[in-house]
Amino acid sequence: MSIFVNKQSRVIVQGVTGKEGAFWAKHMKDMGTQVVAGVTPGKEGQNVDGIPVYHSVRRATAEHPADVSMLFVPPKFTKDAVFEALDAGIRKICTIADGIPLHDAIEIRRAAMSCGAMVIGGNTSGIISAGEAMLGTIPYWIERVYRKGHVGVMTRSGSLTNEVTAEIVKGGFGITTLIGVGGDPVPGTRFAELLPLYEADDDTHAVVIIGELGGTMEEEVAEAREAGIFTKPLVAFMGGRTAPEGKRMGHAGAIVTGGRGTVKGKTAALIQAGAKVAKRPSEVGPLLRSFLG
Amino acid sequence: MKLFEYQAKNIFREKGITTPRGILIRNMEDLDAAVADIGLPCVLKSQVLRGGRGKAGLIRLVKDAESARNEAQELFASEHNVHMILVEEAVSIASEIYLAVTVDAVTSTAMLIGCAEGGVEIEKLAATAPEKIVTVKVDMSHGLGGFHVNNLVYGMGLPTELIKPVSAVVRNLYKTFTAYDAQLAEINPLFITTDGTPIAGDGKLIIDDNSEWRHPDYPLSREQFDSQVEFEAAQEGIPYLVFDGDVALMCAGAGLTTTVFDLINDAGGTVATYVEFGGANYTKAVRTMELCLETPSKVILVVTFGTIARADVMAQGLVEAIKTHKPQQPIVTCIRGTNEEEAFKILREAGLEPLTNTEEAVQRAVDIAAGRA
Repeated sequence: MSIFVNKQSRVIVQGVTGKEGAFWAKHMKDMGTQVVAGVTPGKEGQNVDGIPVYHSVRRATAEHPADVSMLFVPPKFTKDAVFEALDAGIRKICTIADGIPLHDAIEIRRAAMSCGAMVIGGNTSGIISAGEAMLGTIPYWIERVYRKGHVGVMTRSGSLTNEVTAEIVKGGFGITTLIGVGGDPVPGTRFAELLPLYEADDDTHAVVIIGELGGTMEEEVAEAREAGIFTKPLVAFMGGRTAPEGKRMGHAGAIVTGGRGTVKGKTAALIQAGAKVAKRPSEVGPLLRSFLG
Repeated sequence: MKLFEYQAKNIFREKGITTPRGILIRNMEDLDAAVADIGLPCVLKSQVLRGGRGKAGLIRLVKDAESARNEAQELFASEHNVHMILVEEAVSIASEIYLAVTVDAVTSTAMLIGCAEGGVEIEKLAATAPEKIVTVKVDMSHGLGGFHVNNLVYGMGLPTELIKPVSAVVRNLYKTFTAYDAQLAEINPLFITTDGTPIAGDGKLIIDDNSEWRHPDYPLSREQFDSQVEFEAAQEGIPYLVFDGDVALMCAGAGLTTTVFDLINDAGGTVATYVEFGGANYTKAVRTMELCLETPSKVILVVTFGTIARADVMAQGLVEAIKTHKPQQPIVTCIRGTNEEEAFKILREAGLEPLTNTEEAVQRAVDIAAGRA
């Protein structure tokens, strides 16, 4: 099995007639994703590689019931597009938009939380359930990166994901579902919120998180593990261990995070919670091996 | 984008927050008139973006015109790139308060922060006496309610006579936060004058980078950067950093770059400069290398693993960049991702060895820098 998206998922693509949208919607279909309809206001009646286009999400889902929406919508219009999908009753949404205004991101996450929806992104390459379905811009065709297997992956990064996932495959493993939560300061969904899904998925035997310095998402994963919400083997790799102290956000940043956010602190919290932390990408495979045999 | 204090204070005033009277000067010629207008004693505040200006000696209280000239001269000549000084009236202070509005990513709310004891020691206080710091979360889709403000100001334990005036500042600071798509709007300290009036002693306002298009009045300016080159790179949207090590990095993505940075340090190497080569800039190899060569280095290390940023396009770009700039130092490449086989071929034809393992590439570059390879 997998989480979030699978062979049975019925997906609409918002922004399907754009250059990116059309290109990647075709790839999503080629990989096996059920793309049932597309949405671009003003373009109803067209079709993109056989995908029928509608003016709005409501008009699309009236003809083609769907449970997932993938957005290829510019950052300025992402909030409106997410709200449109929520309004039409869709509860799983993924957006790759890089550059969503911060206050829009806050409203997007808040709206999703208030109606039990999950928004993945922005600033992500998307989601892939290996061998089943893909949302976004993930190069599923690179066999040495996206082989099917039993490891769940959550990541904040794009290019580092390919790097680390290649090491998972090199270690003799493959992935169930990889979710890019994205690199924005306020992602729609946080690592720890995905853990219950991986915990419930029998096919996922272990989870790898690909983190970075900054924020508190890795610490929240450690807390979830300590609380027994997630009990499977957990391996983490994080970039930025030796990064020079960067921009500080006045005093408020330190007050909000309570001094958390360094890779050193994240590593200590994760190890305390029983996870293993790789110092370099090539250690991820062997660490998984030490758990899974 | 972090604004200068004088800009933040202009905005505060526009939103109804009182600040000390001040005049911005950009050179010594304007000093005397500014001091005469503001009156003595006054404060000379260097307009730089770094924190801890007081401790770094970048803020000076002056009592007469001559010491104003001496101190201002020193500030303009300091190593901290002082291009502007805010000449500000000295305020008689009874107490100092801390107020801020920022973002809480976990609950996805705006967070008001207040403390009756403001000033430079606020972070120490957060660690030693966290109960003194009050936080209130505001659902931005509902907006700021009277109860939010009450929870903050009464929670801070302010004396009765300050409740009303400080509440007004909180409301205006929240207005500033929303109007300017801020990551942070902070007043530390908020002076309470001897007659009980709150005045913003300092002002920090960081506009979210993704929202800058909504605030065209505050474009990037040369003063925000240490050098002209950094300013130009920022205008072109190319992430660019300068250090003082040996390895020049052309690398894609924050995650991969910080990882390569770690690996270089682990291998005993040092980074000279970093230029983003990837993402939206993946077709700009010639320009990327030009920036890369602004800083002396012993080796250039190129590491990418792109999807939309096609490996073959990047390899071709790199070959053109080498032809254009003819760098003297050796180049180590580790360019992978979409169309990588084609990329390897292009690199080989240009006489470069296409490495495919990041750790191996880093080791190679560090060895070259150390004269071992």
